Amino acid sequence: MILQSNDLVKSFGGVTAINHLSLTVEKGTVFGIIGPNGSGKTTFFNLVNGVYTPDSGRVTFDGKNITGLHPHRIAELGIGRTFQIPAPFTKMTVLENVMVSTFIRASSLKESRKMAWEILELVRLDDKGNTQVANVTLEDRKRLELARALGTKPSLLLLDEVMAGLTPSEVKAAIELIRSLRTRELTLIVVEHIMDVILSLCDRIAVLDYGQKIAEDIPDQIVNNKEVIRAYLGERYSARN
Amino acid sequence: MELQASKAQAVPVPSVWRFTPLGLLLVICLILPWLASPLWIRIATEVLMWAGLAQSWNIIGGYTGYLCFGHGAFFGLGSYVTGLMMVKLGWPFGIGLLFSGILASLLAVIIGYPTLRLRGAYFAIATWAFGEMVRQIATILDVTGGAFGLQLPSFLNLRYFYYVMLAVTGLTYLTTYFLLERARFGYKLLAIREHEEAAEMVGVDTVSIKMKAFALSAFFPGVLGGIYAYWVTYIHPDSVLGAQLTDFMVVMAFLGGIGSLWGPFLGAVVVQLVQRILWLFWGEGTFYLVIIGAAICAVVLFIPNGLIGLMESRFLSPREAVSQLRKTFKW
Repeated sequence: MILQSNDLVKSFGGVTAINHLSLTVEKGTVFGIIGPNGSGKTTFFNLVNGVYTPDSGRVTFDGKNITGLHPHRIAELGIGRTFQIPAPFTKMTVLENVMVSTFIRASSLKESRKMAWEILELVRLDDKGNTQVANVTLEDRKRLELARALGTKPSLLLLDEVMAGLTPSEVKAAIELIRSLRTRELTLIVVEHIMDVILSLCDRIAVLDYGQKIAEDIPDQIVNNKEVIRAYLGERYSARN
Repeated sequence: MELQASKAQAVPVPSVWRFTPLGLLLVICLILPWLASPLWIRIATEVLMWAGLAQSWNIIGGYTGYLCFGHGAFFGLGSYVTGLMMVKLGWPFGIGLLFSGILASLLAVIIGYPTLRLRGAYFAIATWAFGEMVRQIATILDVTGGAFGLQLPSFLNLRYFYYVMLAVTGLTYLTTYFLLERARFGYKLLAIREHEEAAEMVGVDTVSIKMKAFALSAFFPGVLGGIYAYWVTYIHPDSVLGAQLTDFMVVMAFLGGIGSLWGPFLGAVVVQLVQRILWLFWGEGTFYLVIIGAAICAVVLFIPNGLIGLMESRFLSPREAVSQLRKTFKW
């Protein structure tokens, strides 16, 4: 077990975005989180990597309580994260973007540069290394988002809709890329809307609705789960079947 | 497209050529006081001071992206600290300067702690209010001489002040080069400027890095303020704490190009020289502000990267320059 959330609660004003959520993610697996818009998927990520502090409950990473730590501390401990909408350092080159994230693992600027080139090769962005981010396409920005998260050498990587906005062929390439990342040392938590992607990538899937976990199972079981069909397709559809 | 292609093929400039302009600049700076008249030594000293001030503003405003409108306060603080130490305590000038810099940095940390959480216009307003507060305090206190100002011991040696100013401004640029252009610290600042949340997410301790940047950017105005005070021998709240001080730092940095090493230098040279030349020809007046204002509008509209951005594409090696000329004039 690498990540565990215990009874997490987070509300914004009157809206409870995360409602008593408990999840356990095993080491070396790919864990999927799905759910309708506003069901709390991104909020969960923000609670795990320290952007928000939960109202109650706790997050344990690698046996350590990380609740309420600053995001940069959590990055140092080994949780990487991508943004749903790419958030690159626009007026820097692709390489420099990744270099910044390797600083917590490298001892010199030179070593940083070397590590960043290696990661760019891994995500196949090395031909754009010296390009200003302002001049690269959305697909490359998504790759950069991933490369920058990998730069912190995470043991747990939170991927927030890395496929959104990509064409079908780009999605295919991205799936291959994410598969290739999967090792015993790197655990992935994937939030995605495209069902094919999530079903083909994940070992286990949790379904969120109004901030609560309504189901958790292996992919084959999830697609037949009554609660899931109700949340996604509505009461009437699920009653008819 | 054509421009990019030609750039890619350009032969790397030999390092001898790269350092020639810098060496030339240094030589000119070193021998200038022995060639120029006292008036021009004075103007050159001013230019150097402004080059240092604009660069220190650039550290927080340009590299880090936090538009500080209270930077004049650090200059004024330095002036008063050096002045009071010399007048009331009889301490030597050098110790006064060191204390001025350290106290300015300390004040930046105290002010930065609450204000560096704010972004954009809110940070600008908060720091502007801080600058105004310092000016009011200097005006009402007895120890600073209030609105009457403070008289320092006179030491009338233009060359001495020129070289002291040159040394401190040189130090400002060296620090910027080694800490911001050639070190991780600089990359972290740029990351904060471009996307603070993302920087935090990849392990940059944004709070502490911003504080360090602010403290660093306040140190040099503190020292330069001290030199200024001893140089002009008489200071009062409006001369060393007026809002115009900050405004000029911002204007020079923007005109030259923010977030670059040589931009503020260029901006300071252009603005201060234009201002002085206008003053020489037309005497005391404020009309130069109109001209500078119009120039700023033009820069923001047409060359957002400043004069340096304009020059970077023109700063070619002699051979490249010739080929560029040939292309332009179809020789």
